[in-house]
Amino acid sequence: MEGFKATVINEIEKMYKKKKMIVILIISVAVIAIGILISIGLSSVGVGVFKKSSVFPISVLSVLANTLLPLFTTLVAIDLFSGEFSHNTMKIALTRPVSRFKLFSAKITAIAFFVMVNLVVVMLLSTSVGLICNFNSITFIGIIRIIISYIVTLLPIMVLALIVVFFSNILKSSSAVFFLCIMLYMISFVMGKIFSPYSSLFITSMLDWHIHWVSDTMLITKITREFLIMLGYGIMFFTGGYYLFDKRDL
Amino acid sequence: MVSTVIPNKYGGILMEKVIEINGLTKMYKNGRGIKTLNLEINKGDVFGFLGPNGSGKTTAMKIMTGLMKADSGEVKLFGRNVVDEYEKAMQHVGCLIETAESYPYLTAYENLKLFSRYYKNIDDNRIDEVLSLTGILKYRNEKSKNFSLGMKQRLGLSAAILSKPELVILDEPLNGLDVEGMIEIRKLIKKLVETEQTTFFISSHLIHDVELTCTKIGIIYEGKLLSVDHMENILANYATLENYFISEVDKNGRI
Repeated sequence: MEGFKATVINEIEKMYKKKKMIVILIISVAVIAIGILISIGLSSVGVGVFKKSSVFPISVLSVLANTLLPLFTTLVAIDLFSGEFSHNTMKIALTRPVSRFKLFSAKITAIAFFVMVNLVVVMLLSTSVGLICNFNSITFIGIIRIIISYIVTLLPIMVLALIVVFFSNILKSSSAVFFLCIMLYMISFVMGKIFSPYSSLFITSMLDWHIHWVSDTMLITKITREFLIMLGYGIMFFTGGYYLFDKRDL
Repeated sequence: MVSTVIPNKYGGILMEKVIEINGLTKMYKNGRGIKTLNLEINKGDVFGFLGPNGSGKTTAMKIMTGLMKADSGEVKLFGRNVVDEYEKAMQHVGCLIETAESYPYLTAYENLKLFSRYYKNIDDNRIDEVLSLTGILKYRNEKSKNFSLGMKQRLGLSAAILSKPELVILDEPLNGLDVEGMIEIRKLIKKLVETEQTTFFISSHLIHDVELTCTKIGIIYEGKLLSVDHMENILANYATLENYFISEVDKNGRI
């Protein structure tokens, strides 16, 4: 476990030193700005998002989970695998007394940490913006809903990250992986809309699954089904990614 | 430390095997690679691995440190197989393979700090100690992207000896170093052998330097290990290591 712990700390320190935390701040501010613009647009046609301050953070989350968060998670995941392979820095960690499985899972953990920090920062900022705009309507249930919907978003984003990791262990060039991921994301997004009966097969349609968690009637069966599908994707791509990572000759 | 100890017939300890390589084979698609390599290195040896470019030196060292998987054969470090028990095999090993790499966006100190987390009892004093041993203490807080080739090489050497390893595997350790640097590193290797009984496995094409540093020589040519001999024996029969090397390679070339 010591090797795993050391690698997680190292990966997070590297992210921090590479100024990834500034990226998080940029994402947060940008998303909230977009959220505000959208809600102003909506209230001008009579759909006041600011009427309930607890709704604003959730509509910000919908924007975040579909756009900037997948994009930056993809960049971070590519950087940790393809980037390190192509800059030859992967062998620094590989020649230390830590097994490849621990190294692989520690890198995944570091990505999860990045996503989590990102979600928490956006949650805090958007909740405070919501509070500033409409102070009275905050309720305890509202806060719980916000926290739940931000926490559950971690899962689809991590599945997406595992898919990216899988591809960045196949292709050598970072830019090729990035291009492929963007293409797949767009295809999956469009296919999910066209073949909506089968949309639960496409991971992009699950980026919004936090909505099921906070809707007035919780759809347990739907949540369970989506959870199991994502779990399946996650296990498949984790295993596949690790298999390739372990086999790789440097 | 676990290592293979072979008692001799009088019941005493004959030697401790640090590296055992048995029938190691790895072929690339282009036909180069290494063929059935067998080698044993004992504790305290300074092994010089000599061979022309493309003879398979780096391939062998990459397999030894787990960066690459062999087609067949096995490598044991301290009696532990590098494929099955990687963490335990590498616990007392420091290495520098092919090129000295560091994270360019981190300072020399931060780079070593990352490595130190994998070992117990490595604190900031030890980091400063290895930085001064390799002569880059004054660049401690400079980012390694601004380093020259020689400085990067020194940082790579610092990283290799940081954990006070019992076995140090160095691939072309003198690459990019100036004359002073070469002398310093040669001194450093000798000092570590004398004070800490460190075992070295060094590949180099600088024959003169190998002659000055190593106690045991292996010559690899087109993926095959031609001969392994102690330096005293070689120098008893040949004027210089260079003569020995050329005669061994020539002998093989004619066959």
